[in-house]
Amino acid sequence: MKTNITELVQGVGGLVTLPDVFIRINQLVENPNSTISEIAKTIGQDPSFTVRLLRVANSSFYGLSSSIDTVSKAVSVIGTSQIRSLALATSVASSFDGLPNTLVSMEHFWRHSLYCALVARILAKQVRRCDPDAVFTAALLHDIGELVIFNRLPQQAKDALLLVLDSADELPIYQAERQIMGFDHAQVGGELSRQWKLPPMLEECIEFHHDIQSAQRFPREVTLVHIANILALMAEIHTLDPDDVSPIDPQAWEAVGLKSDEVSEVIEATVAEAQEEIADAEKLFLGK
Amino acid sequence: MAISPSFRLPLALPGFEHIKRAWNEAHATYAARLNPGEYYVTKNDEGIYTTLGSCISACIRDRVNGIGGMNHFMLPASVGEGGWKAAGLGASTRYGNFAMEHLINEIMKNGGRRQNLEVKLFGGGRIIANMTDVGLRNIEFARDYVATEGLRVTSEDVGDVFPRMVVYFPSTGKVRVKRLRSLHNNTIAEQETKYLHTIEDKPVSGDIELF
Repeated sequence: MKTNITELVQGVGGLVTLPDVFIRINQLVENPNSTISEIAKTIGQDPSFTVRLLRVANSSFYGLSSSIDTVSKAVSVIGTSQIRSLALATSVASSFDGLPNTLVSMEHFWRHSLYCALVARILAKQVRRCDPDAVFTAALLHDIGELVIFNRLPQQAKDALLLVLDSADELPIYQAERQIMGFDHAQVGGELSRQWKLPPMLEECIEFHHDIQSAQRFPREVTLVHIANILALMAEIHTLDPDDVSPIDPQAWEAVGLKSDEVSEVIEATVAEAQEEIADAEKLFLGK
Repeated sequence: MAISPSFRLPLALPGFEHIKRAWNEAHATYAARLNPGEYYVTKNDEGIYTTLGSCISACIRDRVNGIGGMNHFMLPASVGEGGWKAAGLGASTRYGNFAMEHLINEIMKNGGRRQNLEVKLFGGGRIIANMTDVGLRNIEFARDYVATEGLRVTSEDVGDVFPRMVVYFPSTGKVRVKRLRSLHNNTIAEQETKYLHTIEDKPVSGDIELF
């Protein structure tokens, strides 16, 4: 099966590529000798990202008290690593335009992903020890393998969706995919992350969001994305009843340091906050 | 593997043998799976389930003896130049009447009594954004029909933008409605569109005997 996933992902190589601005910023952030002004200069060379960055920096998303009017100010206030996350988050959706499909509208796909990202960020701020911006980007990308499957294997992808409906929505989609194809969208997303050489934290969150026990290096972040995915579904279908959505791994809450008696309160507050933020976030991150 | 008698597929009522049924682990019972345009009536302790986009399902049962069933239909509409538009009103409501009457008549034929009937309505979601609200037409039709027949809607979950999964147990009246995530919108819309084409091509004919 391993080769199948590899070939599948290689097949989309020319159709979807990482945003240039992310690649350039990533190189600088990875290089311990680079300076803030070098990073700011690189950003300044991409007018479209510059606009998006300043818009996000001055939005309620950061809620900063002073206004951020230059790129170098944005880089020093927000942080270089966070800027790298933003570079990916604000441009990744449009890089998948080259991978169309008929099974899900891009609008619906990215809305779910963005809900997941907002929820993950809110939770990351609460549980600490996770970088909220990095987790945001990881969550935004968690289902990218789905877009590969929908584009490359439309018939099997449709069969998997029908299997879910035939099960009266009891069978989770990733399990239906495993039954039909022998692998699931999380594994495909993990392979795409490797071919793209995404930071390892993103790769683990994407690959293991349905299989948190397999996370090796970033179990906390992976678990946050796993929980966020389910809470995003609750936000999407306007429910607070856990029975209405796929189950959260029983060990997940404890793994991120939340006690079981806090859970329902956290769910309610987080879902509500994400629902409040979604419209603005769509403009900031998914707007063309 | 030996199966205990209570886990054997219960006999379907005459005329419903073709409806697909399977064991449902979550509800620990057999359940009939309705496609658009189908209906199913049972006297057994079993479930009936379907997925709804802009289609409507009426769940009707005799609350005293537990005989009941579910249908799944929509009023025909045709694609005109300006997008979706209603077919002639007479022709389209004829199809809705047909779906409702068949369900009610089968329940009564199998021992249900009209004064004991309770009705639950589900579906009619607006799952495709840039389309006339066909779901709303279906909801209005179903409510009108039930009112005209002097029946009572005891619960409903209709409209809004979600597709739904409905699982109904006529013997108890219990119903489980789950809103489905938007990942399923296109698949469900495609099934319903396919069904719509079959009813547009095949107008309802013949009289229905009313009890």
